[in-house]
Amino acid sequence: MLAAVLLVLLLAGCATATKPAQPFRPPAGMFPANGLVTQRGVLTALGRQFPLNGYLALSESGGRRLIVTENFGKVMADVLVKPDGKIFVMQSSRAFPPKWIRRHVAADLECLLGTTPATADCPVRMVGTNHFVVERRWYSLDLRTVETRPGPQKAEFFDETRAETK
Amino acid sequence: MIAGLVLVTALSTYAQPTLTPVADPKPVLQDLQRKMASVRTVYLEFTQERQLKLFNEPLKSEGVMLIERPDQIRWETTAPYQSILLGNHKSVAQFEQNGTAWKKLKLGFPQMLQRVMQQMALMNQGKLDALTADYSISVATGAVAVVTMVPKDETVRSMLASLEVKMEPDFSATREVVMNEPGGDLTRIIFRREKRDVQFPAGTFDQTKPLDIAAVKAAANHGP
Repeated sequence: MLAAVLLVLLLAGCATATKPAQPFRPPAGMFPANGLVTQRGVLTALGRQFPLNGYLALSESGGRRLIVTENFGKVMADVLVKPDGKIFVMQSSRAFPPKWIRRHVAADLECLLGTTPATADCPVRMVGTNHFVVERRWYSLDLRTVETRPGPQKAEFFDETRAETK
Repeated sequence: MIAGLVLVTALSTYAQPTLTPVADPKPVLQDLQRKMASVRTVYLEFTQERQLKLFNEPLKSEGVMLIERPDQIRWETTAPYQSILLGNHKSVAQFEQNGTAWKKLKLGFPQMLQRVMQQMALMNQGKLDALTADYSISVATGAVAVVTMVPKDETVRSMLASLEVKMEPDFSATREVVMNEPGGDLTRIIFRREKRDVQFPAGTFDQTKPLDIAAVKAAANHGP
């Protein structure tokens, strides 16, 4: 019983220690209001690492659309977050089920872009130019922006009715 | 039915001079394997284009593929990010550029990645008959030779409709590989600067500390 309590306290302590005092806000101009951002990331979960590519389309009026692929281009997750914060899972996979995309991929995306409320749990650190680390209890994500192309994106990116998976 | 699907796929994704389907691909595949049997190593530079319907332009990456008999393969992405994949029949390893240093990953599902790497090596060694257990294979010839592979497994086919290997008409070099997905998205890998029988320096396929690609490129440029 005592061991269980200590464990809970330890985990709670760890969680508190890693949570930044203020939610992450990216430097101004880091992400264009309209554009396409290419990212490379390594997801670490249960001691295993999974390299991923992320293609993030941004539109002031349409929202944020993130497509995550594995090494050879297979789509693992595809999520659209509308300007009002509504989340639409456009495509999922066995590795990234809809619930996981909604709870974690979309949440981390919003944290990274700094579009979360001030009270949100956003354990994001910027560790270098275009280099971010997201550290949560069950996983961490080491993320680098490798290419940014400002400019308007196709309206289809932000059309939730084109989802392949709800 | 499959032959029809293969032909339609091959013709629709490769709009160019007429291709003639080969009735019995076996002799062609055996000839290809015979020609490749004497090739000890292959050096290729590639551009990978991921074509998703949503995007106006393909998502491009660049890199180098190296193969050494009997089973060593190195797939290195050099832009827009840096990543090295190394594989042989025993193991697979992946490294990511962490600022200025390479970091070896503790890969999840390494068996799956190893299988993909081994299939890539077999394809580039012309050992296509070794893949007949997993794929239905057809050949068409013309201004280019196209080997089309359709996965036999329905689950695999739901992710990969077909795989096309496009070569010079005399099978002397691989031009490109196209992976067609059921929904119309595709990945095209365009090869260039193919060099055969390059003497790769020690450490090229080292899964602990792979040799820098600049040294490998230098060796390739001074090879036969």
